[in-house]
Amino acid sequence: MKNFVGSRALPDLVYHCPENMNALMALFDTIQGEYKIVAGCTDFIPAVRGGRWSFNDGLSLIDIKKIDELNFIKETDGIVTIGAVTPLSTIMSSDIVQKHAPGLCHAMSTMASPQVRNVGTMGGNIAMSSPAGDTVPSLLALGASVIIKGKQEEKKVALDQFFTGPGKNIMASNEVLKAIEFPALKADESVHFQKIGTRDAVIISIVSAASFLKVENGVCKAARIALGSVAPTPIRVPKAEAFLKNKPATREVLAQCAELVAREISPITDLRASADYRRDLSETLSRRTLMACLDDLNP
Amino acid sequence: MKMPVTLNINNTTWNLDIDANATLLEVLRNNVLNQQSVHRSCEEGECGACTVLMDGKPVNSCLVMAASAQGSTIITSEGLMRGDELHPLMKAFVDELGLQCGFCTPGMVMSAYALINQWEDEELSDMDIRKAIEGNLCRCTGYVNIVNSIRRAKQAKDAGNWW
Amino acid sequence: MENRETRLISGKGQYADDLDFPGMAHLVFVGSPHAHAVIKRLEVDKALKVPGVLTVITGQEMVKYTNPLPVQANFKSKGWTWRLAHVYAMPKDKVRWYGEPVAAVVAEDEKTARKAADLVEVEYEPLAVTGNALEALEPDAPKLYDDWEDNKQVHLKFDFGEPETAFEEADQVMHIKTREGRVTGLPIEGRGCVANYNLKKDTLEMWGSFQTPYLARHNIAATLGMPEVKVKINAVDIGGAFGLKIHAWKENVVALASKLTGRHVKWFEPQKDFIVTGPHQRDVFWEGDVAFKNDGTLLGVKATVTHDLGVESTNKGIAALSIFPACSAVPNMYRWKGMHIEGVGAATNKSFYCAYRGYGKDKGIKFIEHALNQIARKLGMTPEAIRLKNYIQPDEFPYHQINSYVYDSGDYPGTLKKALDMANVDEVRAKKEQYLKEGKYIGVGVISAIEPAGVAVPNCQMGGITQARVQITADGTIEVHSDRTEIGQGSEASHAIIVSNILGCNREDVLVKPVTSDYIGQGPLSSRGAVYPASAVAKAAKILKKKVSQCAAAFLKVDEASLVMEGGLIFSSNNPDEKLTYKELAEKSYFFPGPRGLPPEILKNHDHLLDVTTTWYSPTTPDSGSSYTSFCTSADVAVVEVDIDTGATKIIKYAHVHDAGTIIDKQIVDGQIHGGIVQGIGEALSERLDYNEKGQLMTSSFSTYLIPTAVEAPDIEVAHLETPSPFTETGSKGMGEAPIIGSKAVILAAIEDALTPFNIEVNESPATPERVRSWIVAARKEQEESK
Ligand SMILES: Cc1cc2nc3c(=O)[nH]c(=O)nc-3n(C[C@H](O)[C@H](O)[C@H](O)COP(=O)(O)OP(=O)(O)OC[C@H]3O[C@@H](n4cnc5c(N)ncnc54)[C@H](O)[C@@H]3O)c2cc1C
Ligand code: FES
Ligand code: FES
Repeated sequence: MKNFVGSRALPDLVYHCPENMNALMALFDTIQGEYKIVAGCTDFIPAVRGGRWSFNDGLSLIDIKKIDELNFIKETDGIVTIGAVTPLSTIMSSDIVQKHAPGLCHAMSTMASPQVRNVGTMGGNIAMSSPAGDTVPSLLALGASVIIKGKQEEKKVALDQFFTGPGKNIMASNEVLKAIEFPALKADESVHFQKIGTRDAVIISIVSAASFLKVENGVCKAARIALGSVAPTPIRVPKAEAFLKNKPATREVLAQCAELVAREISPITDLRASADYRRDLSETLSRRTLMACLDDLNP
Repeated sequence: MKMPVTLNINNTTWNLDIDANATLLEVLRNNVLNQQSVHRSCEEGECGACTVLMDGKPVNSCLVMAASAQGSTIITSEGLMRGDELHPLMKAFVDELGLQCGFCTPGMVMSAYALINQWEDEELSDMDIRKAIEGNLCRCTGYVNIVNSIRRAKQAKDAGNWW
Repeated sequence: MENRETRLISGKGQYADDLDFPGMAHLVFVGSPHAHAVIKRLEVDKALKVPGVLTVITGQEMVKYTNPLPVQANFKSKGWTWRLAHVYAMPKDKVRWYGEPVAAVVAEDEKTARKAADLVEVEYEPLAVTGNALEALEPDAPKLYDDWEDNKQVHLKFDFGEPETAFEEADQVMHIKTREGRVTGLPIEGRGCVANYNLKKDTLEMWGSFQTPYLARHNIAATLGMPEVKVKINAVDIGGAFGLKIHAWKENVVALASKLTGRHVKWFEPQKDFIVTGPHQRDVFWEGDVAFKNDGTLLGVKATVTHDLGVESTNKGIAALSIFPACSAVPNMYRWKGMHIEGVGAATNKSFYCAYRGYGKDKGIKFIEHALNQIARKLGMTPEAIRLKNYIQPDEFPYHQINSYVYDSGDYPGTLKKALDMANVDEVRAKKEQYLKEGKYIGVGVISAIEPAGVAVPNCQMGGITQARVQITADGTIEVHSDRTEIGQGSEASHAIIVSNILGCNREDVLVKPVTSDYIGQGPLSSRGAVYPASAVAKAAKILKKKVSQCAAAFLKVDEASLVMEGGLIFSSNNPDEKLTYKELAEKSYFFPGPRGLPPEILKNHDHLLDVTTTWYSPTTPDSGSSYTSFCTSADVAVVEVDIDTGATKIIKYAHVHDAGTIIDKQIVDGQIHGGIVQGIGEALSERLDYNEKGQLMTSSFSTYLIPTAVEAPDIEVAHLETPSPFTETGSKGMGEAPIIGSKAVILAAIEDALTPFNIEVNESPATPERVRSWIVAARKEQEESK
């Protein structure tokens, strides 16, 4: 077992700061030894200080934050695209995102602190692939896809196909997360996010939930419900989602759906909470986010 | 590995030779720059004692690699002073006793400065203030006098007493 | 002179981490990843090979060069259990808690020392872990200290008044159990210091976050085997302390490192170290009976409080000592017939226990306040009604409480009533039905407490004795020395106010000096500040004032009785035009007294030496044995809303009324109140030191040990009463701890009130959302089953 050391030194580093995607791709070919991509470093530094990540033989750090091609927010033809290194605070206050996915802005406002949001990125949150990543449930609910760029190809993958385990995803080490895209919400669609932690502010979620609802003429036409911290990765709950399809959009139906959510998941007990509490909260948060969507759509 | 960086700190440009693995916090506190108002506690972004403004925005300097700050403008709380004169925001902290042990204070001041500087509206609610300093932990004051200080500073700004 | 706040906010603070000396080396501790294990092998070669590493100190060196940590409190007599462990600053062959330092790496810079810290190789043989106090007391529990019979470190038994009569006279007896979780004070700044051992003179000087420099010198000198006169300890600016910086523990290793390397050595503790290897508090189980009459008259208590002390305190015996106030605080501010209280302390494989705001007095009060609320509920009384019925009345002071405490003064009913008014309790209660219909669970909590302050007990280093010095220098500026370090509680400002008020000098001309080990006293702990050091300073200033009057009267050739001292000027009321400034007075007294000099009586008594060093000791303690001198009063009323689906609690309103006697400075007192209240709220709702079954601390950072941020902290309305203490020099009372006591209790009480429909007793803290929700789920299940 490792010694207990209160705060560890950062490893010996070679620092790289490619200025564009071509330079980054070229770097993958030439770089020697262990390397790591970083953006805001808000996950990287604590992981090293706390000894969760160690690089005894030194590390090449590839800082991608200065790559302009990764730093943008745009909306074209009803598709919102956000560059991976766009800081959380920029996304949160962007008119485009506020307009087309207010639930995502809200999720970001519950994350970390202003200081962390000013440097932390959405790409980092997704790439980190923590089950508790707070941007992910809303993005899953929005039906987002990630754009991954490797040397050979650029591919688009649905976000719900991206995560493979806690801290794990489908990206290879010489690939980079380029952007996230999702369809802008239409008038009959809504997304809401809520999370619960042991304290209100600057807190890792015990459970987080985001719901997407599309209601036409009082009928649920589509629903996506996503949860964080209840499984090894952020997940969707297909059975509960399917239950809503073509059902009347009433509070009773939504409450029944939330009960199904709790039955569909199998959370674990860890230092933050017990499995029972997580299951219990999943129902409450699914219900509340679904109801909030309904309130939006039936003013 | 040593590497050069250029930083503008409190209106002075520095060409520094830094360790590639140094954080901005370490560089600011070292013997050359000696910005001792930038305090060190958790080194993991949780307490806010090390908050500085980077290109106008509050960041935890312990979570910024100094190398990646290349070319940026940094303001620490020392940089808010005009010579020996306290910034109106700092004056408000002194008047309202918004500090006790003073350890969280420089970081707190920077978050408050960023808040008030970008706040256009007349109205600034207590909850707006509290949210703006959620990343700055204080164990002494219970935040009450800090919120009072920031409210008072906002009034100072509205009255034209600000820089 | 620039005031402290201006100095600090301009970035001129000089905290431990700011200390810098030429050629300074850096020390980093290496801790055990096991909670209980034998150290089989410890290799430092790899660490030593890292370029820049100077030395690695281990338990071997501690045993070779130092003494075991000295005993700081010893109550072996009286038929009580009182065990002390023979421990060094670092262990040689066995670790007893997760994080316990086993080695210290000293290197040219901190980064190198940190890097080498991972390369110290230790082979452990894990032992069975004793995880909590109740387990520790089981007959077959793994023992922490081989030479102890079992894990019971302390067992104290107290009979206050007539416990048997109390129970005989009772109409009813109620059984009460409470459980407080383990917490820590967690100032934002960790501990830190620099040591300089001068090899030529064999002297040691240290600078750092020393809350009690005088005691630190005594204990460090004893550990290093040095004469105390060769050691000097200097407190620098301290980033909060709350009791957690009264230790002299890792500092010994830093001092030894300086001795072995001949260099200045600096250690600055990362927050995680501070949580994992710092002083912890609370973690108690209360169980007992309370006797009362049907009309709500309180009669007696029989109860036992069991403490999870963790390992032997680095302030040996001081953890055990906190069990005294825990037991003695139970009577709180009420009249009683009698009590039998037992205090038990068990050693476990957790970090050690020491002082944190409250220390122990908080525990007895929280227990009895909880009990009162249960009794009131049973009798259909409001929480205020039962308190008002049993309070000691304003005309009964000084009041000799059954536990031998002498309560100095107060207006208990007045304090509570004011708080109830401020929170509009009647209005909130009137709307409760309505709220419930809307699905809102709103609750009102009502708590009142006294705070025993200014500790002085025999058989330990908290003996009370205190020294202070006030000197008018030759240019008329005034320096003040005492043992009261500035830890953010306003000691510098209050000393300056006290001195300038007494001498009529300008506050800006008074400089309160940083505290060093040169002045005797225990420093600011147990809210001693406004009791002991403030009294000593006031007393010195009063004696000095007499000297000033004598000299000034001679210089001005006026009658001493006619002298006025105000605004930095000294003059006769008969001739206000002829004035002396303090500068003129000092210059005349010391150097230029004029052609005929000062009168011979003044010279013979050397009253022209405008420098007074004096001591102060409680006027009540010697006769009564009351270990505390002042007892401030507080009342807390809180309104909360509980989200019953998630278990989350929101504080809607918070009112606090405080009576700390004469107020030296309202802003400072309010600041202490706000800070204490929010710490108590943290304890009530989210702060928790959580060890896993292997004895590893899981909540070891700010992101897991959850202190309130500005968002959860409420607005706090504060009002004051001022009933002076007849026993202190200034009439003021110690007040640093009451807020943390009342606030924790009141939030729990308010949650309980909000959950009335579920009939839940909130007797466990912290009341995290998960825990509250689990109570509700269980209560619902029970309600359904009974249907
Ligand atoms: C005090 C504090 C509070 C926090 N609170 C929250 C919270 O409430 N909720 C929450 O979800 N998170 C929280 N976080 C975690 C963190 O801030 C977020 O996950 C953030 O979004 C990470 O972004 P980053 O750019 O800083 O990541 P980095 O630290 O730079 O990188 C994180 C990981 O992602 C990889 N990576 C980053 N960008 C890319 C990319 N474009 N392509 C491929 N790989 C990449 C890196 O290799 C690394 O492994 C908190 C962190 C701190 C310090
Ligand atoms: S030291 Fe940077 S946030 Fe704590
Ligand atoms: S004033 Fe001490 S931490 Fe804020």
